[in-house]
Amino acid sequence: MREGRLLRGVHRTHTGVHPALESVLAAILGLLVGAVIMLLWGYDPWQAYWALLKGAFGGFGYEIPTSVARGVPLILTALTFSICLRAGMFNIGAEGQMYVGAAAAVTVAYLRLPYPWHLLVGVLLAAAAGAIWSLGPALLKLTRGVSEVISTIMFNWISRFLVFYLVAYVLVDPRQAQRTVRIPFSARFPILVPGTDLSAAVYMALGFALLVYFLLWHTAVGYEVRAAGLNPTAARYGGISIRRTVLLSFALGGVAAGLAGAATTMGLPPTYAIISGLPDLMNLGFDGMAVAMVGRNHPIGILFAALFFGGLNAGGRVMQFYGENPVPLEMVRVVMGTIVLAMAIPELVRIFPALVRAGRALVRRAGPAQGEEA
Amino acid sequence: MISAGARERKRDGYFLRAEGITKVYADGTVAVRDVTLELRPGEIVGLLGENGAGKTTLTKILSGLLPPTRGRVVSPRGPVRFGSPREALDFGIGMVHQHFALVGTFTAVENVALSHERPLAPLALAATRAGLERLMAESGLKVPLDVPVEKLAVGEQQRVEILKVLSREVELLILDEPTSVLTPLEVDELFAFLRRLRGEGKSIVLITHKLREVGAITDRVVVLRKGALVGDVRTADVTKEELAQLMVGRAVGTRAARAVELSTEEIPAHAAHGAAAARGPGVLHVEGLTVPGDTKPVAVHDLSFDVYAGEIFGIAGVEGNGQSELVEALTGLRPALKGTATIHGRNILGLDPRQIYRLGVAHIPEDRWRLGLVLPFTLAENAILGVHRWPQFRGPFSVLRWGKIHAHVRSLIERFEIQATGPGAPARSLSGGNQQKLIVGRELAKDPAIVIASQPTRGLDVGAAQYIRDILVEMRDRGRAILLVSADLDEVLALSDRVAIMYEGRFMGVARPEELSRERIGMLMGGVRG
Ligand SMILES: Nc1ncnc2c1ncn2[C@@H]1O[C@H](COP(=O)(O)OP(=O)(O)OP(=O)(O)O)[C@@H](O)[C@H]1O
Ligand SMILES: [Mg+2]
Repeated sequence: MREGRLLRGVHRTHTGVHPALESVLAAILGLLVGAVIMLLWGYDPWQAYWALLKGAFGGFGYEIPTSVARGVPLILTALTFSICLRAGMFNIGAEGQMYVGAAAAVTVAYLRLPYPWHLLVGVLLAAAAGAIWSLGPALLKLTRGVSEVISTIMFNWISRFLVFYLVAYVLVDPRQAQRTVRIPFSARFPILVPGTDLSAAVYMALGFALLVYFLLWHTAVGYEVRAAGLNPTAARYGGISIRRTVLLSFALGGVAAGLAGAATTMGLPPTYAIISGLPDLMNLGFDGMAVAMVGRNHPIGILFAALFFGGLNAGGRVMQFYGENPVPLEMVRVVMGTIVLAMAIPELVRIFPALVRAGRALVRRAGPAQGEEA
Repeated sequence: MISAGARERKRDGYFLRAEGITKVYADGTVAVRDVTLELRPGEIVGLLGENGAGKTTLTKILSGLLPPTRGRVVSPRGPVRFGSPREALDFGIGMVHQHFALVGTFTAVENVALSHERPLAPLALAATRAGLERLMAESGLKVPLDVPVEKLAVGEQQRVEILKVLSREVELLILDEPTSVLTPLEVDELFAFLRRLRGEGKSIVLITHKLREVGAITDRVVVLRKGALVGDVRTADVTKEELAQLMVGRAVGTRAARAVELSTEEIPAHAAHGAAAARGPGVLHVEGLTVPGDTKPVAVHDLSFDVYAGEIFGIAGVEGNGQSELVEALTGLRPALKGTATIHGRNILGLDPRQIYRLGVAHIPEDRWRLGLVLPFTLAENAILGVHRWPQFRGPFSVLRWGKIHAHVRSLIERFEIQATGPGAPARSLSGGNQQKLIVGRELAKDPAIVIASQPTRGLDVGAAQYIRDILVEMRDRGRAILLVSADLDEVLALSDRVAIMYEGRFMGVARPEELSRERIGMLMGGVRG
């Protein structure tokens, strides 16, 4: 009753099934529902999923690196959501913080520095911009008691149009009006697998995820954040300042989102710029929330979930061109949506224990034949 | 005993039978082992056992809320297996939980109404209120009806929890430590009510750690030890000594010996006599302290007192008379309206809890689930709550020293005999009493200058409670100051060097325990100066 309500399903699931197993079951359920819908619409789900699988994880030369590359920003935006959730808050602002971070990253084009330093400065700028942008909702919450759910959504809109404006008028490339100036070579993440989008930004995402893990579970500061998220009254009793944990988690979440903005500009070939309408950024913040949920709001779980979602994205692109009756890319989003729904709706999720029980019953029925039950 | 004959006749029928119940939790803990038990109408059964013996687990299984790993619960009325407490209530089984199952933001009336209605029916609040008022008069349990229950003191919440279940027509009533925060008078009234229910043919199971209560009300006693049923006897046929021995087993250990010696229920008096001469300098000084409450504008009125080093200052009273607010004000959890409070001459009003702890304060909170523990956290994580910034637990860059923390927890587990699978077990998986031991252990291990203890032995078994009391006394003797707030009158009287009786935010009197008779205390607690 008193446990932070947001954190249900992180430590204990509604179903009593292990969280990781529940995520896997949700993913399977999502794929099944997707298959049913495909059948209803006259597509061949086996062929489609085969294409999706091959497109996502079919080879080391192109498919897997592409899936990983698609997962990189998702890792970071998922961390934004999870850090704040661990602190007991529902931060929906990753999207906007990422836009601002991306815009800040692009400004390095106006600087002249040698290679690693230029890149580093850009990353730091993006991180700082994300953090500063996230302080808005945090301060509104602390000083005026504004719900962070509302304020982060509002801030998403503000930043969206702010960045639209910046892209169109301030950072615009005079020769290419549909995009901003390009980030110079000295500030780009090196490409790891030639011919793919996979850049060294993946190390940044990986490193940040590990850092968040270490911070939350191995430092007193992270301990305070988690305690405040799980039981604010007990945290206060334990001498923990809730103000501090709110500010800290929002700032750290903002850094993660800002880094996502850096990854999608300084680490995303071929443009290395923000295209007007933000097609390379749009929805990565929201998808990150789905990744966070499937990853159980744990940095390590998020890495796997991001790989899965990245694979869905990458594979979906292949799926839509495969066979004579290709399945449109939107089907992938149906699958994603179903997965999230399956985990978000407790009643729906009751199916899982039933499935597990049915499975056990099957095993048991098979048991006596082998003389196991006496 | 008048109705004994009538009850004898009913014996042949049973209401509920547990057959070969075993419960193994997911982490492998065997909480209940092969227990077979029958509950009959018109009978009050006492369920006894040390902390972690499996009492709560067994009763949850009996009430159909927790599926057993092996065995079954049968009733002539049908299968006993429910998805929610309400289904159980509809079947005729009501359970008063050790850790209350109340909706914090709802008032008492709403909480009770909630247990009556189908989920989507409009709440019949007016009818519920009328029923509740009648029930309060009959049972002697009074609660504020229109205040969100999370604002109530633990003792008041306990009363709401009991009323919630009593308000339903149930055939089987299970009470898991219902009296842990009630005063003796409230217990007497509750018991009178339970006897009436027994007379109406209800079946009642009562869990308690107070052997006197067992003797006072039960017809039959069932004793659990490490999950196994080791005794099922008529109350009239056993002595308290035998019960205590059953609980702890024949094996002679120091703790066991102590429990047996204590079985007479007399808490040995510990007051340092002639304390006025022996006590040291003042530690806590409170003057004109006025504290707002959640349910009333002022909960503590213009209170002044001192607690000296080397003394235990007890505050007795019915829960909800300002004790919680006083303690919260002194520990930085609630702002005061007026007055001063100092520790060693340093002002503490307006400081946050961390700053107050730095002055050498340990706080054992009354509500272990709301304040004392972060339930999903492990034992280790809970054991450093409030001391997580101490240099022995926190190294450079704020990195936690898990090695040292685990060593610390292991020493707590050993010293306080906390039953757990290890430092990594979630606090949620501990039994109520073991959770209490963890909190008390954590706070006393701070070796503070002053201990502010609310209900420190709530839910502890006889041996563990005595162990904690011994530690408090020993700390007193080493010159620490102790502020003890407890509804357990025996405890306050036995331990305190001076006792204050609190009523509606004021002290009705402060005296040495031997100067007060129980009758006089009862009157003072009821607000009668006499
Ligand atoms: N959810 C759980 N998961 C794992 N172990 C548990 C869980 N709940 C209880 N236990 C363990 O089962 C045992 C019995 O617990 P139970 O709560 O039934 O004890 P109890 O007799 O009610 O004790 P107390 O007097 O302290 O309330 C304990 O060892 C406890 O640690
Ligand atoms: Mg219990």
